[in-house]
Amino acid sequence: MSRELLAPEGLRVDGRRPPELRRLLTRVGLFAVADGSAYVELGNTKCLAAVYGPKEPRTQSAQLHDRAVINVEYNVASFSSGERKSRTRRDKRLLEIASVIKRTFEPVVMTATFPRSEIDIYIQILQLDGGALHAAINASCLAMIDAGIPMSDYVVACSAGFASGTALLDLNYIEESAETPALTVAMLPKSGKLTMLNMESRLHLDHFKDVLDLATEGCKSLAESLDEAVRKACKTPRPI
Amino acid sequence: MATIALPGDVVAVPDDPAALRLGPGLTQLLGAVTAVKAGLVCEDSGNRLWLNASQKRYIPSVGEPVLAVVQAKHAENFRVDIGGPHPALLPVLAFEGATKRNRPNLDVGALVYARVSLANKDMDPEIECVNPATSKADGFGELKGGTVVKCSLGMCRSLMAKNSPILEGLSSLFPFETAIGMNGRVWINAETTRQIVLAANFIRAADGAPPSRIPSMLKALKKRVEETDDGDDMDADS
Repeated sequence: MSRELLAPEGLRVDGRRPPELRRLLTRVGLFAVADGSAYVELGNTKCLAAVYGPKEPRTQSAQLHDRAVINVEYNVASFSSGERKSRTRRDKRLLEIASVIKRTFEPVVMTATFPRSEIDIYIQILQLDGGALHAAINASCLAMIDAGIPMSDYVVACSAGFASGTALLDLNYIEESAETPALTVAMLPKSGKLTMLNMESRLHLDHFKDVLDLATEGCKSLAESLDEAVRKACKTPRPI
Repeated sequence: MATIALPGDVVAVPDDPAALRLGPGLTQLLGAVTAVKAGLVCEDSGNRLWLNASQKRYIPSVGEPVLAVVQAKHAENFRVDIGGPHPALLPVLAFEGATKRNRPNLDVGALVYARVSLANKDMDPEIECVNPATSKADGFGELKGGTVVKCSLGMCRSLMAKNSPILEGLSSLFPFETAIGMNGRVWINAETTRQIVLAANFIRAADGAPPSRIPSMLKALKKRVEETDDGDDMDADS
């Protein structure tokens, strides 16, 4: 199995070298209705994020007296993968990913500025080619910045795996479903701190450092691209 | 030259840091002045540093004029929507000449021009329809007729600037009255419905357009205003 993922010439199934990222495309500020929105394409994975808030919580019980509550809804379109698979909203897997994303943003967003309010993030995956979690986090970060919600730093995420003795960056669908260990990392680029580390398979401790280092390197390059995207969006004339 | 700062960027501080006042979008994290939003860093002569960020959600701040929509009537106050994180309260007595016997007659859905009197992150914000210094209305109060345009906060700030090219340009075409709320809402009223619609569409289109495009947009608008409106029965009832 591992032999298929990394050809002897050192090329992966999609022709990339092990430490290569997929092509990144971003658009910020798509929806007129949402306070902030962003669209991220990482290779063939397409993700849309919309942020609403800070706003009045839907139910009185859903508020915290000293800070804002971040709610994440993560949806994968039924047409997004090779086979049509319709998932209900309460699918445990989707709820788990939503919870991971929520906990990724909680330490970064300055929620103490908005007590008793809520910030809603809606994520929709339109096309799934692996790396949905980190595409979703990157799209949500851009959408938060577009909404003007104060954050102490950017959040950038990337995934890395391990096959045939080499660490691979930014896994696609084939690599992810081939049972390679996959580590997703969310990082704050300015301070280098990690805000989320997610792995659901087994990886030998000897290889862990290489995979982690590659993932953080990937985060840093993604951070540069996201930086450029936001600067461009700031420069497009909006009356000041 | 304005620099763009992104969340987490440390902002260069002018010479006298002790007397520096930080405005919206900047905060002190671990001893350094850091940006928490994406925007242009601006400073003025009064040693004030702030971030001009484009945003749609309004965060209330004392003294700012806002356009509020009445959501509910309670005994002592009205509950209004100002487009912020929480609905605001408008006390029944916060109008010119209002007493317990003489209450203002506002229906649910009425539009009101008011100023923010209380804006604290831990409490619901409060607005008032009087100028606190003079106890007179000074333009605040219910707005009748016209239409409301939703725009970005940056657009409202630029409309409130002296000699805003958009408003000056419009005023050269036809007379109109306007109330600009810092919460991303602009109210426009003119003599005919057609003028109101043209003015509202113009403001909507100008939000996000580069300043260099405004003169050409005004020229196109001028042509539309001067078009004869036969077959245009928008004013059939007036």
